[in-house]
Amino acid sequence: MGTGREASVSLDGVRDKNMMQLKKLNTVLFPVRYNDKYYADAISSGEFTKLAYYSDICVGAIACRLETKGGTMRVYIMTLGVLAPYRGIGIGSKLLNHVLDMCTKQNVSEIYLHVQTNNEDAIKFYKKFGFDITDTIPDYYINIEPRDCYVVTKSFAQI
Amino acid sequence: MGASLPPKEANLFKLIVKSYETKQYKKGLKAADAILKKFPSHGETLSMKGLTLNCMDRKTEAYELVRLGVKNDIKSHVCWHVFGLLYRSDREYREAIKCYRNALRIDPENLEILRDLSLLQAQMRDLSGFVETRQQLLTLKPNHRMNWIGFAVSQHLNANASKAVEILEAFEGTLEDDYPPENELCEHTEMILYKVSLLEEIGAFDKALEELHKKEPKIVDKLSYKELEVSLLSKLGRPAEADKLYRVLLSMNPDNYRYYEGLQKCFGLYSESGQYSSDKIEKLNALYQSLSEQYTRSSAVKRIPLDFLQDESFKEAVAKYIKPLLTKGVPSLFSDLSSLYDHPRKPDILEQVVVEMEHSIRTTGSYPGSDVKEPPSTLLWTLFFLAQHYDKRGQYDVALGKIDEAIAHTPTVIDLYSVKSRIMKHAGDLTAAAALADEARCMDLADRYINSECVKRMLQADQVTLAEKTAVLFTKEGDQINNLHDMQCMWYDLASGDSYFRQGDLGRALKRFLAVEKHYTDISEDQFDFHSYCLRKMTLRSYVDMLKFQDRLHSFPYFHKAAIRAIRCYLKLHDSPKSTAEEDGMSKMAPAQKKKMKKQRKAEERAKKEAESKSEESTASGVSKSGKKNVKPVDPDPHGQKLIQVEEPMAEASKYLRLLQKHSPNALETHLVSFEVNMRKQKFLLAFQAVKQMLKLDAENSDSHRSLIKFFLKTESTSAPTTEAEKLRWSVLEAERPSISQLQNKSLVEVNEDFLGRHKDSLVHRAAYAEMLYLLDPSKKTEAIKTIEDSTDKVVQTNGAQREWKLKDCIAVHKLLDTVLLDSEAASRWKSRCAEYFPCSTYFEGKRSSVMPDSVYNSSRKSNDNGDAPNHPMGQTEMSDGQVEAFKSLSVST
Repeated sequence: MGTGREASVSLDGVRDKNMMQLKKLNTVLFPVRYNDKYYADAISSGEFTKLAYYSDICVGAIACRLETKGGTMRVYIMTLGVLAPYRGIGIGSKLLNHVLDMCTKQNVSEIYLHVQTNNEDAIKFYKKFGFDITDTIPDYYINIEPRDCYVVTKSFAQI
Repeated sequence: MGASLPPKEANLFKLIVKSYETKQYKKGLKAADAILKKFPSHGETLSMKGLTLNCMDRKTEAYELVRLGVKNDIKSHVCWHVFGLLYRSDREYREAIKCYRNALRIDPENLEILRDLSLLQAQMRDLSGFVETRQQLLTLKPNHRMNWIGFAVSQHLNANASKAVEILEAFEGTLEDDYPPENELCEHTEMILYKVSLLEEIGAFDKALEELHKKEPKIVDKLSYKELEVSLLSKLGRPAEADKLYRVLLSMNPDNYRYYEGLQKCFGLYSESGQYSSDKIEKLNALYQSLSEQYTRSSAVKRIPLDFLQDESFKEAVAKYIKPLLTKGVPSLFSDLSSLYDHPRKPDILEQVVVEMEHSIRTTGSYPGSDVKEPPSTLLWTLFFLAQHYDKRGQYDVALGKIDEAIAHTPTVIDLYSVKSRIMKHAGDLTAAAALADEARCMDLADRYINSECVKRMLQADQVTLAEKTAVLFTKEGDQINNLHDMQCMWYDLASGDSYFRQGDLGRALKRFLAVEKHYTDISEDQFDFHSYCLRKMTLRSYVDMLKFQDRLHSFPYFHKAAIRAIRCYLKLHDSPKSTAEEDGMSKMAPAQKKKMKKQRKAEERAKKEAESKSEESTASGVSKSGKKNVKPVDPDPHGQKLIQVEEPMAEASKYLRLLQKHSPNALETHLVSFEVNMRKQKFLLAFQAVKQMLKLDAENSDSHRSLIKFFLKTESTSAPTTEAEKLRWSVLEAERPSISQLQNKSLVEVNEDFLGRHKDSLVHRAAYAEMLYLLDPSKKTEAIKTIEDSTDKVVQTNGAQREWKLKDCIAVHKLLDTVLLDSEAASRWKSRCAEYFPCSTYFEGKRSSVMPDSVYNSSRKSNDNGDAPNHPMGQTEMSDGQVEAFKSLSVST
């Protein structure tokens, strides 16, 4: 499956009323349980956290946290994921592109994330969007192997 | 008015009337007191003072004063009119009519009183009186349009439609040619359409059509014009013209089923039962083929053929119908098709078609015979459909497998959880059903429907407190339970009452059931305002429809259900002595549940106290702040404790029984409760009537059989008649007995054996036989139990295993063994047998039900009982076997 007929993909924000959708996605997509702070950060990031709908079904999400560092704003991607049956049809790219657009509009200095060192698909994916590996943190993960992670960053030229 | 008073006081009297009309009650009261100082016994003033006080919530004083007023001035039409108004405000319409009549005897041409009287007569359906009053109004004021219309409508309601037409024609004769003016076009249209529909009603189709065509330029409602025209054309047997017009209507709205029905009739291709000869099916198919080419956007034109097509052509059509909807993702597809499941062969065909699709999508990604790739969601919706399909067919295991797979595929679709909840309900696990409905609810907190569905499931699982908390999430701020009441939320009243009934809390249960009855009274009251409004606005067709609807209001299912249940409450109250009624309910419960109930009661009492002190505070502050009372009167009996103190429960039950007998005479249950009530009241002839009704409606029904045996056992065992009344009764029964075909010179034991002979294979009937066997001869207990235990569950072979036994019947049998036949060993044997059959049933403690300690729902249940656990623990457990491999491609985590 994958290349289906034309189906519309739309994005929607995360609010108190539909937060359970994000939680459902995370339970299936990631081996980690997220705490309340994650969801609070996600909601307060506003336009930087989005659910993706594939013909009215919620199938993926990007969740970011906004940070300020020395007067400039940076964005940390907490999670980005799409349900297995709906991968390979550009939904992840659409989510990431939306956030990158927001970064340019809102003068964000850089956007970064952590990724497990063996997750080659993810690294390849982000490199396509101009991200680079900027650091390695040993023993970042406690419960999963390998325990190391890369920091993957994209900087924006400041205007 | 006030004629007998000197000028100064007469003016004051006018002021009272004016103040009453403008709602300045204090001012009116002052004026009244000023007159009464000088003329303390002036009747009309006393009356008006009373009427004013009535509006200030001082009812008792009001009645005293008004009565005194009438007494002091019995010849005054004012006093009688006021008395009538007072009764009307308390909805005592019969009394009010009497008062108005007295007033009119004194002042026969008083327009105001005549108008008021006519409204009451319409409300009370005193139709001949209504005609009379309306005629008088017209005679007195023939230049008022409303009086003509009112007279015509009254004749129509009094079953004299042709007279109504004559009156309307006479009225039209008084109109100028250029009538109506611009701003009354709509009203005039309504009048013409009303007249035409009257002509249609009396069968003067020719004249109706002629009239319609003649008035066409004056009719602004073009759609109604066309619909009336087409209906008349059909009735006149002019199918060619009707056909043409139906197609015009279809081009306006190609999804109106009535137009299709009408069109079929034009071709002689319509049958009420939906059964057609193969020749007709072919013609119908051709008709819909051509229609579907014409109205491509219509879904009705695609759906209707599924009803009449058979076998191969059905199979082809249904596949064609389903495919695009599964691709698009239409959650309501199953309920759209569910009516097809009444057909003997169509469910099998549907199963075959959709299972084929499922297989093809899994293996090739496309529908059978196609190479167009389906989007990933098609598999999801196919599984979703199949889950509902197997649920409908009672194959809960398969249904659960499908829905679980769908959830694993796309866990974010809310409908999946709702459907799983429904499957669990059908499979007999109400706790799990409630937990799943709550999970669905949490996924969209802004959706009222999902919230309501969840509340209903919680009530079905007897989680009343939690259900109330959930329900009020969608009510307005403030007094929550009253708000639900004000919204006339009847499904809630019924489900909540049922739960209290199961838990043995008859007071609260009755409270809820009687609330439904109250809603119906309110709906009936609500028509009052329309008697004047509709005549003024000329919406006569809708008005008459509304009155007809009101006339059969009490035959609607919610009322029927509530009345039956209320009567069952009263039966229980009658059977268990008053003081112990509550204890009784408690003793039947398991100890754990008892503890829970006690806890709940305590918590409620605490809450009640708090609420009381709060409301006291708010009343105090409310009064001091604004001086106005905006606090609603507190319900003096919120838990129905007074309701169960009733002296004669059977007298109360009879009230509701009468309504049922009048409005639901075709429901077996009506006569079953009538039988139960009248046996207890020792009204044997009425009970006999109920038995006869049941036999007439369904002689083979197990309840009919039970009632028949019980009745004759009771009446035959009573000793020989002694009193006159008893002798009379005995002779009536003796005369009636031969008319009952089941009895024909047979003993009751033989009747019972015959019954078993006719229904050897049915569990329900075997159980009824066994119960009666034991009742007729208690020494036959072992035989009775053996009859039940020897029953075998036939597995119906239709493409898969389907049980014939229904869960609810098996539960009833268990209760029979346990509490009537009193054999706990047989009951427990039955229980373990059924636990095999219904592994999800909590009642039988099936191994997959939530009562099992390792059930996922078991933990969730605990958190549920404590109330607000917003994120459901079930979520994780459910997903743990889901996709962990999701991690490998796009996911990134902190």
